[in-house]
Amino acid sequence: MTATAVDRPSPGELLRADRAGRRFGDVVAVEDVTMSVGAGEVVGLLGANGAGKTTLIRMLLGLIATSAGEVALLGGPPDRRRRTRLGYVPQGLGLYGDLTVRENLTFSAQAYGAATPRLPEALRASAGRLVAELPLGLQRQLAFACALAHDPVVLVLDEPTSGVDALARAALWDTIHEQAERGVGVLVTTHAMQEAAQCDRLLLMSQARLVAHGSETDIIGSTTAVAVRTDEWARAFAVLTESGQPAMLAGRDVRVADADADRVRQVLSDAGVRAEVVAVPATIEERMRVLAGA
Amino acid sequence: MRAMIVKEFRELSRDRRTLAMLIGMPLLLLVIFGYAANFRVPTVTAAAVGPGASRLAATLPSSFFDVTRIEPSGTRADAERLLKDNTVDVAIVTGRQPALALVDGSNLFASQAIVSVLNTFGDKISSQILYNPDLKTSWVMVPAIIGLILTFIGTIVTSIGLVRERETGTLEQLAVMPIRPSTVILGKISPYFLVASLDMVVITGLGMLLFSVPFNGNAFVFALGAALFLFVVLGLGVLISTISQTAGQAIQTAFMFLLPQILLSGMIFPLDAMAAGVRWIGYLLPLTYFTMISQGVMLRGASMASLWLPFLMLAVMAVVVFSGATLRFRRDLAPSRHHRHVAAEADADADAEPHAGPGPAPTTDAGRSG
Repeated sequence: MTATAVDRPSPGELLRADRAGRRFGDVVAVEDVTMSVGAGEVVGLLGANGAGKTTLIRMLLGLIATSAGEVALLGGPPDRRRRTRLGYVPQGLGLYGDLTVRENLTFSAQAYGAATPRLPEALRASAGRLVAELPLGLQRQLAFACALAHDPVVLVLDEPTSGVDALARAALWDTIHEQAERGVGVLVTTHAMQEAAQCDRLLLMSQARLVAHGSETDIIGSTTAVAVRTDEWARAFAVLTESGQPAMLAGRDVRVADADADRVRQVLSDAGVRAEVVAVPATIEERMRVLAGA
Repeated sequence: MRAMIVKEFRELSRDRRTLAMLIGMPLLLLVIFGYAANFRVPTVTAAAVGPGASRLAATLPSSFFDVTRIEPSGTRADAERLLKDNTVDVAIVTGRQPALALVDGSNLFASQAIVSVLNTFGDKISSQILYNPDLKTSWVMVPAIIGLILTFIGTIVTSIGLVRERETGTLEQLAVMPIRPSTVILGKISPYFLVASLDMVVITGLGMLLFSVPFNGNAFVFALGAALFLFVVLGLGVLISTISQTAGQAIQTAFMFLLPQILLSGMIFPLDAMAAGVRWIGYLLPLTYFTMISQGVMLRGASMASLWLPFLMLAVMAVVVFSGATLRFRRDLAPSRHHRHVAAEADADADAEPHAGPGPAPTTDAGRSG
């Protein structure tokens, strides 16, 4: 067998997909994705539901075989040996609800052949409680603790902050950054666009493909949006939507991604809606919408 | 109301497992059990032992007695050995007046039929029932029920335990962990194996205590048979878990495995009384062979040598079922094996078409250009 590029990773490259694809029958879940995660990097994988984020992650972990292309973990196939250096927090957390906090941590550490670490401060008071009885925020912290119990060099986190309050989310992101500072490469999927700013680099997926990557600024590029400020925001939204403009509500502002301000102004004027219309830089979410539309 | 009914029918039409239970199972049960539900044993195997054995054998009605052994030089001890080894259902010892028919009481319905037919011989043949002199149903049922309980734990409880890992998402975490699939399976089934073993000891003890069921054989032979049987049913549990997504599905499927074991293993209806077209199903069921071992050891004190066939069948079943279960479970836990296969093919493609190989990571619109 010829050695391939994935067998010779770039220095510090921990996770890699090369033209990776996955089909389920006629459904294309992931197509032609090339990406990588380096040591000390926090890479955000963004995309709407069904964009292919979780399938890509499962391919990178070796849980799903690729239909095309290749994936590599630590320079080779994501096999059992390489996964000893991986920490994973799945969407469903992967915790045993009928075991206590300490028992979950002990099992996870032992499965990786590591000594059971001390529980994080926030979990110590709940050490003897059954996981099923814990609030979601603490469950997520425990899932993190389990994923970190064996000092992994790669962390893969599938929507790790989903369903937790702002304070708990901030604490989890602190943990992610601490790990990155230690040289751990982190791949994190999220729906929350405000979390994109926490990542060093972003990968944007839409309809099974990787449609953009880079920093938030790189991805937004020169894409603009039109912000509409008016007391008649509900009517403005309705009018713009009816005219085929991709209008979105942002508080009481109406925003139209990648639109022409004059055209928006004209549509509103024709409908008798008095509004202030200005061109503004697009958000990452708006850029995603544009890319998805394209 | 109409919307609810239509919705329910639509859901039902897509739930193939429930449909099979609702439509297929009743038909199957009717046909199979219609032929299986028969307590009347039409023929029994017999031996004639002692001087004049051939002459006596000739006087036995061949429509009922299938005389498979004639030992003119044999003694009562030989006759008992034939019964103990389950070679025949009845052994008639000649050379005395009246001749003595020794009947295997561990084969309840056959022995009832034998006694009934022998009564027509008047005082020419007397009969003595061995191993279950009072023909107590409990003596025959308790050894079989031990197997039924082990089947219950092995299939239903084990499959639910494994499916729960899938339902809660912990199976995915296990798949990522550096644990071998065989280790996961062994780790999962070991507690059930121990609990089932404990159950077996308790049920056997209680059966002996409450129903005075004897334990005439070697406990080691019994334990070995139970261990083999447990491996088969635990393997079935693992197998069921690999074809079930939810605990409900696992219970449904396990029930489909369990019901034939109860009705076709000879536990309730004697195998000899079943129509040949249905009897073969019984010979494919592990409980059939465990019942042979448990009744043989407990009631007849049968040795390992005389029980070689059920031991062999259980061993073969254990290997087949457990291998199948492990392979299917491995597919859930270690798809990277497939990945390696695909990767190897990709390598071959890359050799043929260099452009298909991985290139440098692009900086824009990676998926499209890369």
